[in-house]
Amino acid sequence: MSGGMIIGARDVVKSFGQTPALRGASLEVQQGEIVAVMGPSGSGKSTLLHCLAGILTPDEGEVWFAGQRLDTLTETQRSEVRRDKFGFVFQSGQLVPELTAEENVALPLLLGGTRRAAALAQARDWFGRIGLDGLGNRRSGELSGGQAQRVALARGMVNGPQVLFADEPTGSLDSVSGELVMSLMTRAAREQNTTVILVTHDARVAAYADREVIVRDGTVSSLTGAAPSAGAAPSSRAAR
Amino acid sequence: MIRLGLRLAVSGGREALVRLVIVAIAVGLGVGLLLAAVAAVNAVNAQNDRYAWLNTGNSNTLGVQVHRQLRPGQEVAGVARAPLWLLFTTDEFDGQTIYRTDVAATGPSSSVPPGIPRDPGAGQYYISPALSALLHAAPAAELADRYPGHQAGLIGQAGLPSPDSLVIVVGRSAAQMAHLPGAAKVTSFNTTPPGSNAGVNQGSGLGAKGLDLVLSVVALALLLPVLIFIGTATRLSAARREQRFAAMRLVGATPRQISLIAAVESTVATAAGVAIGFGLFFVLRVPLAAISFTGQRFFPAELSLSLPDILAVAVGVPAAAAAVARLALRRVNISPLGVTRRVTPAPPRVWRVLPLLAGLADLGFFAVHGEPASNSGQVLSFTTGFALIIIGLVIAGPWLTMAGARVMARQASRPGALIAARRLADDPRAAFRAVSGLVLALFIFTVAAVLIATQDTKPHFSLDGAAANNTLVDQFSNLNVIGTGTQVAVGSAPPPPAAALTRLRQISGVQGILEVRADPGLQVQGIPAGVASCAQLASVPGLGRCPAGAAAAKVPSSLTNTGGNLAGVTWPAAAIPAGRLDSLPLGSLDVSTNGSQPAIEQARTVLENAYPTGTGLPPPQTIGEYTANSNTARNAYQQLADVVILTSLTVAGCTLAVSVAGGLADRKRPFSLLRLTGARLGMLRRVIVLESAVPLLAVAVIAIGTGFGASALYATTEMHLALVVPGAAYFVLTAAGIVLALGLIAATFPLLRRITGPETARSE
Repeated sequence: MSGGMIIGARDVVKSFGQTPALRGASLEVQQGEIVAVMGPSGSGKSTLLHCLAGILTPDEGEVWFAGQRLDTLTETQRSEVRRDKFGFVFQSGQLVPELTAEENVALPLLLGGTRRAAALAQARDWFGRIGLDGLGNRRSGELSGGQAQRVALARGMVNGPQVLFADEPTGSLDSVSGELVMSLMTRAAREQNTTVILVTHDARVAAYADREVIVRDGTVSSLTGAAPSAGAAPSSRAAR
Repeated sequence: MIRLGLRLAVSGGREALVRLVIVAIAVGLGVGLLLAAVAAVNAVNAQNDRYAWLNTGNSNTLGVQVHRQLRPGQEVAGVARAPLWLLFTTDEFDGQTIYRTDVAATGPSSSVPPGIPRDPGAGQYYISPALSALLHAAPAAELADRYPGHQAGLIGQAGLPSPDSLVIVVGRSAAQMAHLPGAAKVTSFNTTPPGSNAGVNQGSGLGAKGLDLVLSVVALALLLPVLIFIGTATRLSAARREQRFAAMRLVGATPRQISLIAAVESTVATAAGVAIGFGLFFVLRVPLAAISFTGQRFFPAELSLSLPDILAVAVGVPAAAAAVARLALRRVNISPLGVTRRVTPAPPRVWRVLPLLAGLADLGFFAVHGEPASNSGQVLSFTTGFALIIIGLVIAGPWLTMAGARVMARQASRPGALIAARRLADDPRAAFRAVSGLVLALFIFTVAAVLIATQDTKPHFSLDGAAANNTLVDQFSNLNVIGTGTQVAVGSAPPPPAAALTRLRQISGVQGILEVRADPGLQVQGIPAGVASCAQLASVPGLGRCPAGAAAAKVPSSLTNTGGNLAGVTWPAAAIPAGRLDSLPLGSLDVSTNGSQPAIEQARTVLENAYPTGTGLPPPQTIGEYTANSNTARNAYQQLADVVILTSLTVAGCTLAVSVAGGLADRKRPFSLLRLTGARLGMLRRVIVLESAVPLLAVAVIAIGTGFGASALYATTEMHLALVVPGAAYFVLTAAGIVLALGLIAATFPLLRRITGPETARSE
């Protein structure tokens, strides 16, 4: 694995029962890079993201993060990496309905042992940034889909992750809300130099990425854009 | 994490609060019932313990000498305590049994019966509050005149099995006692309860040797449905909770953190439920004590819990709930991607029927080889058998459910049946859990109904016609079986004093008096007989008549053991000179009345004063009273069975309702989506009904069959009787129970309509 890489997969194979999802997929992502993983339904793009995020462990191959093997860590260790180093935004916000929006954002911090007051204060800062001032005390059922997704974005970014994983983050939103979420996501990622791995089949969403990766039949079969060299500041084509 | 768990449990919004309240109430009801069941078992034991002293003097049966009984005239050697003259007898008033104890202290250190401060002196008596009230309410000639002297005080709780117990301790002089037949000197009172392994029993207390067995089975029959109910309640909204845990796993919660949060949430809800349960128990304790589980009320204080009981419930239930919550999570693969990749449990294997078969084999073994010789051996063998069957039904249930589901899946042609069959086959354990309480209740009901029906085939001491309730019989001879298998009448009394006969005749309502004279060796219709004057027999037409021209006739020695209507019977003539008849001792003295209570009670009072009992024979009583007393233990067990069945059915109904409603809430989303896509509400209703009805009916058939089988084996071994199929009432009640269960399921239909409406689907 190359020196500038923050996260990557090498020859990853993953099957669900008799059904192969990944058949030797490899990918390297640089620090601060925004990569869109595209491909048809059932191609294995979400599985690749789950393997990279340590949610799934590959049957074969290696997953590396910040110079260490992720796939050989225990479930608890991978949970801790997800909690401290990664952020997530999935298609449905995956918010905890019993918690307020503010508490949802603070959840990764609380799970990491940050004291409640400090965690909530840190979470509160995000509401202005995502345009949800005053909505921190609402529960997820009281938010619109776009609002819930922005809360999920804040939750994904609150602990300053090194990598943000986004699986169809605008899949259940209208185009305006989707664009808003993507703008916020890419801006926040740039500000924090956070790597984003974005699974989508929407070309407009992929346009926010620095690079597009196509997954087909379980392999990363083609690339568009170019992996930036280490140290270079990537910029999205949508921004350009 | 504990704080986060508390936050999620206590202030997680309206839905979380509703869930918390429902779980807490359900657990509260379960714990309340659990505590009531434990306390009731304690109270039955305590009540039985209080009968112990009323059995003093009867330790000759089992060789366990827990108190010393001296032969008449024997002095106490090497014992510092002065002996106490003692005579226990029973008496009757208006169908109620009065326990009478005549005592005479021979020194200041003589034993004192429990519940009174000292032995009453001659001419004094201590009396139970209930009997005191009765004594003051009834005319003296009907009751108070039976007891010589005046009231020295009331007997305290320590000496009374129940607040309703009619007990009197009559003080006499030692000289009087020495002449009372059956009186004995004792140095202590019996403390071993009747019916226990080492206990003795002569009619006081529940009194069956299998009391321990009955209470063990009762405890199991009550506790198991309650525990299932608590388990079901704590699983409410499990699916929603698992989804939430998945979301937390996504943002980095470790499996350990999720386990901790789940345990905290369960513990909070269960602890609140335990508090509600204790509150319910203490509020309902006094009304509960008034329910006559055994035919007699409890003292409220006896319906109590020991410290281990309290600790076991207060700590054990929340701890068990936390453990179950953790265990449930281990069975579910809560990955950050959700619970969609749920671990499909392995299908139940056929080994699950083995404990059930082992239980039947246990009972079958003893049916073939005979019951163990010792009481403790019998209790152990039968308890093991019934416990294995009850637990075996719970273990076998999922396998039977799966078998039923597979049959339904093969036959299913409509989508409702297919969905229900697939869901049952996917998780038969959960499906059976909902109906397991009902299945156990059906088993218990079957066993109780069959055993009581079988018991009822034992010969009844019943005499038809008016004579049964109108004729007071004072029996002085007892029927014994001698070596050749022949019955003989043993015992007699002197001829009645003329004054007593006069007083009897003066009682308004007394219609005639029959003196049956003892004549050993005499038989009529194959049973021991005495001789009666035809003139007297004519004055008591309910007891038969003489052949024309006869002066005396042979009549049965014991009318209480003679069945049928005697009014039309013509007894054979007895060739005995009139002069000799009057010289024969008395076998029984029968007083025919008009059936009014004053007449019967006044006659009883005269007879008791004329013939102080103490020969081990019953007091003067009508045949109706004799029948009722013979069936006291049976009635007590019937009462206990009714309480157990009613309680377990109620708990099982609650379990079913909570389980079905919880299942609906968990599947709100798929059901509402099905409705959105055009599925009719009727189809969803069919799914709900089939999901509960298939396991209920499949396992109910086995439970009822097993109930019959186990009862047959028990009846053969322990009761030495062939099984008797209970009457139509049993089948009607069983069918009603099943229909009621289906009704409970139907009661959730409005909830189904509400939670699957288009509005719900949109917000989901």
